[in-house]
Amino acid sequence: MSLVSGPLEPVRPDFLTRVTPAARLMAGMTWLVASIVTLDPVVPIRLIVAALIALVMWSGLPLRRIPRRLAPLGIAILSLTAFSILLSGANADRSLSALVAFGPVRITAPAVSAGLAIGLRVVVIGLTTLLVFGPSDPTRMADSLVQQWHVPDRFAYGTLAALRVAPFMAGDWATIAAARRLRGVGSGGVAGHIRDAGDRLLVILVSAIRRAERLALAMDARGFDSGIRRSHFRELRVGWRDWLTIAAALAVAVAALALPR
Amino acid sequence: MTPPAIEAVGLGWTYAGRSRPALEGLTFRLEPGRVLLVLGPSGSGKSTLARALAGLVPHTLAGSWQGSLRIGELEVATTPARFLGELVGLVFQDPDSQLVMSRADDEVAFGLENRGWPRPEMEARVPEALAQAGLAGFGPRATNTLSGGEKQRLAIADILAARPSLLVFDEPTANLDPPGMYDTLEQIAALARRRENTIVLIEHRLEAALPLADDVLLLDDAGQQLAFAPAGSVGPEAVAMLDRCGAWVPRAWQGAGAGVPAAAAGARTRATLGPEVLARVAEVGVNYRADGSGAQPALDGVSLDARAGERIAIVGPNGAGKSTLLFVIAGLKRPDRGAVGLRAMPRDGEPAEELTDPSRQRPGDVAERIGLVFQDPELGFVARTARDEVTATERATRTRRHEIDAGPPDADGTLARFGLGQLADQDPFRLSQGEQRRLSLAALALRPPAVLLLDEPTFGLDRRGTEAVMSLLDELKAVGQTQILATHDPRLLPRCDRVVALDGGRVVFDGSPDEFLADPPYSPPEPWRDGAVVAEAAR
Repeated sequence: MSLVSGPLEPVRPDFLTRVTPAARLMAGMTWLVASIVTLDPVVPIRLIVAALIALVMWSGLPLRRIPRRLAPLGIAILSLTAFSILLSGANADRSLSALVAFGPVRITAPAVSAGLAIGLRVVVIGLTTLLVFGPSDPTRMADSLVQQWHVPDRFAYGTLAALRVAPFMAGDWATIAAARRLRGVGSGGVAGHIRDAGDRLLVILVSAIRRAERLALAMDARGFDSGIRRSHFRELRVGWRDWLTIAAALAVAVAALALPR
Repeated sequence: MTPPAIEAVGLGWTYAGRSRPALEGLTFRLEPGRVLLVLGPSGSGKSTLARALAGLVPHTLAGSWQGSLRIGELEVATTPARFLGELVGLVFQDPDSQLVMSRADDEVAFGLENRGWPRPEMEARVPEALAQAGLAGFGPRATNTLSGGEKQRLAIADILAARPSLLVFDEPTANLDPPGMYDTLEQIAALARRRENTIVLIEHRLEAALPLADDVLLLDDAGQQLAFAPAGSVGPEAVAMLDRCGAWVPRAWQGAGAGVPAAAAGARTRATLGPEVLARVAEVGVNYRADGSGAQPALDGVSLDARAGERIAIVGPNGAGKSTLLFVIAGLKRPDRGAVGLRAMPRDGEPAEELTDPSRQRPGDVAERIGLVFQDPELGFVARTARDEVTATERATRTRRHEIDAGPPDADGTLARFGLGQLADQDPFRLSQGEQRRLSLAALALRPPAVLLLDEPTFGLDRRGTEAVMSLLDELKAVGQTQILATHDPRLLPRCDRVVALDGGRVVFDGSPDEFLADPPYSPPEPWRDGAVVAEAAR
């Protein structure tokens, strides 16, 4: 996902950019938990309002560029919501009156409520992810997880290296598609498309493994994971901002759940 | 730290799962502070030697080791990798799969962190190392925005940071355009002049690399040592043997025993050009660059008519628009302005068909008019065996054809013609680099497209591989195929009919190879001012 694979855009220093990524992750967790413990759509709405305030006030992110970046996610959320409403079991309950009836398709009020609850939660997840990962680049996240949570080096920096080469794989994918078109290969129909996708996946897997082998060799050649205890070029210090962020996020989560409607 | 000597005695290595050794019986002694250039054809174990010097062989990669390799006082096979890591820095070929971090200063610090350097020392050393590699002030830059040459400089800064005393470069310029190549070699030359390191250089651009070398090590295609000698006094027999096993031989040595290789001699096959234009590019403009920077148009007012039997080289620095142009001609990218038209090879006695836009045609019809060989042939493979690869287009388009041509396709005959007869049932992914390249051409040979586009068709090939590819291309050209190749390799230019140079998305030159080579747009910096590289190609 583009949110994770690269820093969103240049970030200006702001409150959340000075919070260590691990603390932002902790704070974000409280909201994710709050949004999934209840089916009440009011809770995600409150969290969305809080997230938007945080985004505008303290994230340091260029707000004007955000809508375009999140457009694919927005479309996914809309279709998820629509399908959840359409396919809800409540629609089949003849004792409920239909809000909309179109031939065999009936939509009932509980279905709308349940569908919205699902869609709104995904919005919370999206905005929270943005607040957690947006204000610093992935390198800081890896540093923070290694230094504060003692995540293994091999996992954290290996993932980081993989993220850096992800765009090249997108290029490879396009090249594979181009090659197949020019060779006249590629059958029609659903089955043909599935077979095609399988063939393309095989090729990209081979190329990804080759790339990963080269990268791993280059990392080993520079002494990665050679048994010496790694030091850190950028030291992250836990400060009052971290505790304040976690406490504030927790307070918001509790309030979103507990405040009367 | 004083630079170490390197001493190999009967050094051999066989990768796990392979029956043949990659290296065998290497015995030489390189004195401290000297620059060694390693020469040999594909599969001669050059990269394996580089890996052994860095301790990746035998400590990271699996296989069996023979003999001894000493760096200074340390025996590689018995010294833990982390002690070797203190001593040796290794720069690889592909800049994009050796950089780990997204920021330049984090990248340089990565190796120091791995070695447990204290932070204040890293903070002092990182900018120093960047400056040493000619990248002062590059610290906050994102690595993905650097040019190819800058990325290799960054890789050099990475290894310099830890102050190794042995530097190993494994084809550091192979993926770079001429400016990037000179940029990187100049950096290596500067390090060589300081004499603070022992340097081992593996480099196929010999005319540019040979002036840097004190000693040379010659390997044959079985990974055995042909010779180890000072660069100026290599015996004629050794040169002849190097030539016979298919390696490139530096021009300066070619009087000494080797016959002048056909490729360098520019054995030009000028087919008589047909009158028909098979590909027409008219005033094409493409707005954005592939990297999305959007600063300049990727192509701007490019026009090009390619006639039957014509071979055109598209040259220019990285980012000049070469790949974009190939994609536009193939109909894979629709231009924002202008038009592209292709036509099939006219059959005898029939009038030539109209030029049609390839991006609007069905895949089967496109395959008859145009083919593209990618720089990385693997990405273009569509089948699980070499035989199926050759017949894939045939099988996919046969049912759609109105006239089904008589008889089944002669796949095995085609493979044999490309020297792949024994490999018909092999998985294309398991072939060597040279075999893969030949297979990618064989796949387009059964039903040759009217226009063949090639992206760096000789990338990574030794002399034998290059000659094999070029003679196959000559055959296709002789029957009237139009070939358009994007390349950085000046050795190919004399074998083309025409050179088109792009820069910043515009055509800056369109004429004969002789005219182009008489006044090339890249003037090589010192110590290559005499233009050995270009002069070689001009011959």
